[in-house]
Amino acid sequence: MKKHSISLQVNGAVHEITIQPNKTLLDVLRDELNMPETKYGCGTGECGACTVLVDDQKVINSCLTLAATMDGKSITTAAGLQTAEGTLHPVQEAFVENAAVQCGYCTPGMVLKSVGLLKKNPNPSEDEIREWLEGNICRCTGYEKIVTAVQLAGKKIAQADG
Amino acid sequence: MTEFRTVGKSEIKIDVKAKVTGRAVYAADINLPGTLHAKIVRCYEHAHAKVKSLDLSEAAKIPGVVKVFAPEDLTTKFYNQSVIDIMVSEDMRGMLGDIEDQKILTDHVKHYGDGIAAIVATTEEAAERAAERIKVEYEPLPVYLNATESSQDGAVQFTPQKPRNMAFELPEPAFPNNTLGWGDADEGFKEADIIVEDNFYTSKQKQAQMEPNSYIALYDDDGLLSCWTSTQMPKSVQPKIAKLFNLPMSRVRIIQTVVGGGFGARLGMVLEPHICALAMALPGHPIKVQSPREEDWLTSPSRHPGDYWMKMGFKKDGTPVACDAKFVNYKGGYYLDGSGVAFTTGGWVSGLYKFGALRYKGESYFTNQPVCGAYRGYGNPQTNFVLEQLVDRACHELKIDPVEWRKKWHKDVGDDGWCAGVPYASCALDEVLDEGAKAIDWKAKREKYAQQTGVKRRGVGVAVMVHTSGAMPMLLEHTVCTVRLNEDATAVVAFACSDMGQGSHTTLRQIAAETLGFPLEDVSLSVGDSNDAGYDIGAHASRTLYVGGGAVMAACKDALKQLLERAATMLEANPDDLEIEDKQIFVKGSPDRKVAASEICSGGVYPFLNPQTGAPDTIPGQILGYSSFNPMHNSPPFGACFVELEVDTETGEIKLIEMVNGHDIGRAINPAVVEGQLEGGAQQGLGMALTEELYFSTDGKVLNNTFTDYKMLGPSDMPKITNVIIENPDPHGPFGAKSVGEAGLVAPVGATANAIYNAIGIQITDLPITPEKILKALNEKHAA
Repeated sequence: MKKHSISLQVNGAVHEITIQPNKTLLDVLRDELNMPETKYGCGTGECGACTVLVDDQKVINSCLTLAATMDGKSITTAAGLQTAEGTLHPVQEAFVENAAVQCGYCTPGMVLKSVGLLKKNPNPSEDEIREWLEGNICRCTGYEKIVTAVQLAGKKIAQADG
Repeated sequence: MTEFRTVGKSEIKIDVKAKVTGRAVYAADINLPGTLHAKIVRCYEHAHAKVKSLDLSEAAKIPGVVKVFAPEDLTTKFYNQSVIDIMVSEDMRGMLGDIEDQKILTDHVKHYGDGIAAIVATTEEAAERAAERIKVEYEPLPVYLNATESSQDGAVQFTPQKPRNMAFELPEPAFPNNTLGWGDADEGFKEADIIVEDNFYTSKQKQAQMEPNSYIALYDDDGLLSCWTSTQMPKSVQPKIAKLFNLPMSRVRIIQTVVGGGFGARLGMVLEPHICALAMALPGHPIKVQSPREEDWLTSPSRHPGDYWMKMGFKKDGTPVACDAKFVNYKGGYYLDGSGVAFTTGGWVSGLYKFGALRYKGESYFTNQPVCGAYRGYGNPQTNFVLEQLVDRACHELKIDPVEWRKKWHKDVGDDGWCAGVPYASCALDEVLDEGAKAIDWKAKREKYAQQTGVKRRGVGVAVMVHTSGAMPMLLEHTVCTVRLNEDATAVVAFACSDMGQGSHTTLRQIAAETLGFPLEDVSLSVGDSNDAGYDIGAHASRTLYVGGGAVMAACKDALKQLLERAATMLEANPDDLEIEDKQIFVKGSPDRKVAASEICSGGVYPFLNPQTGAPDTIPGQILGYSSFNPMHNSPPFGACFVELEVDTETGEIKLIEMVNGHDIGRAINPAVVEGQLEGGAQQGLGMALTEELYFSTDGKVLNNTFTDYKMLGPSDMPKITNVIIENPDPHGPFGAKSVGEAGLVAPVGATANAIYNAIGIQITDLPITPEKILKALNEKHAA
């Protein structure tokens, strides 16, 4: 299989890597770059556990994305939302404070999906949050505390910006 | 009420920062140097077949393949992946008819996805490719998808140990006529003015925890077998693995990785035998397996589906004179805890209402379906669906308000609990029902919804439940805890209790800090490695906070007692006259007579000898608190759930509007954790009622083992949720606490069914209650 060379920026660091064309972004993050914070949940784009943020704007399922198509892109994972000094992103803070985390396996994807929403819509209604989070499955929380955490995060971001 | 420092506060959960940044380490995240990758090859051609021939030669030639394994290449010893056998005495085990009928790889495929071969390769890809080259010839056998089919004359026997494929029935002579209960049900029914009776089907629901199964095992040069697993029960898996491979327990180490959800699916073993067998076959190499998501529905145990018949008799005034019930569950291909749900279901029927007489029969039959085992509630959700619908049918006929009937006839303090001989010690169900009814505006809505005529009809329903805190006296309950006080008067608490995400490590730490009188940040936990802590059965039966909490409390009391005794010597006071506040120990009423806990702890660790006297200046010895704890009760929690929904009578669709989940918690150690359990339980209970079921083709193939086709409720499907948490401290629980883990799932099942009944006047008796079933029932009603 002919290998591809790509340049992938992950959490600010640029990686020049050579990969097989059939590797997904999830495979590359976990196996090549040793960044296990992005989770394998189903491998078929049904659960959202592998969600990452692309170019600080768009959220995608990394399990459905061939890594070769991400040449030159900037990827943010859950670990990359935290500053080097350890400050959590307001969405992460809100998940922590609001007890929106149980087993935690969906959490990195859920946090990134929520970041994606707040970038598009800084003040979403409860219905908008619920609809946006469809596609990211959580089996522990009943979604209640996740939804209120996203609302709280919106307020935190507005305060920080205001 | 006593002022608590940390108990009752929604403290931030212990591991939550590691989880929001993705740094929490799950089994799949571990990559040991030199790891080889395993694949279990499964049968997807048949649900019941004999393997006539298995040719692995082509698979072995694939580059990267290290070794291929047929059944006889690994241990062919029989085992049972469940752990019930180690929770009961040998006599009880015999009585329960527990058997070992599983092999790591099989030549008799008993369900779709049964494992027939294994491959170990340098990469997952090579293992996958090799799996495609395996040549198998099967001899198909008849497929049985329910108890009626598998128990018929001439059916192929799943195991010679269980004639007629009956895995279990309540055993004589402990249960005369294979029944449990009280009184004479036949006589009871003679007194009845009305009888309600029906046949129900309860579904094969899957836990569908978010972390797919992944394991690593290494049989190292020193002969130590290590297994990294997200099991709920590391200390029960350890002796099971030791027994299967004839190893002393000291040569088996189970390292529990962060558990990405359990709900029963990881109770006992799943693929631990497989990965350990492969590791032992290839010593020195870490072997890893990542089970694909679609295999999870096929390999880890689900809820028991089955046929549930029930009959109840009532007098005109509502007196429940008798109940007769029979639950026939479909076990799947292997025995596992074949006795468990068939038995406990009788407990759940026994525990709730003051029937004049009760007779329950429980039976399990093998079927060609993936195995069943523990799933949050263990027979209770099935019972809730049946019992609570029939109670509402009777209330409707008798024109009695369903809330009032339940308040009048539920069992209460002093009544025999779900297990005969263990009477309830606390019960706040009346208050839960009253507060819940108020929160949902029960009376007004029931009146309003009685008058509907439109296409969309609303309904509001109620169901109640009783559950348990641990499984005593039926099963062993035991947790060991040690508390080490460091020289700076901070504490390290060690136990093997599992946190599956429910927050038990957080709440157990709160119990430790509260008992010691130490600030929360001065208490840390030592958890995760089976060889670092004493015994704990594992997380099941909603026991961890209750039994684990009891153990932590006892060990902390032991440490505190030692600390106070030393303080008493130093202060020349009586230990009973001492108090601890902010880690200062002082004589009650004389705050100046005090000594810092750190001075005592430091003196214990550093007992320097005085050069003049040759004796230590301080009281020597590091303080170690210890407990080996067996609870004296099972402090059942009670709950009431109210559901409001809307049925579209043209499409059969159901929209959930609102739910009130009321719970008699005893004491909420961490209210946010309690809410999380109720809300998460609701998602699974509502899903069981409305959407969740594993479907089979007539030849036994599983049709919906993907998240798209196995429909669980998403964020926009969920109703508005209100939690009603009633604190009525239980005399036995730690700080009065009772369980919540499994309970949140139970009553939403019955409450949803009853809300549908209220909306359209029809009871659906088959789970899940899909739009198709509603439309069919509406059409039949219309035709009649």
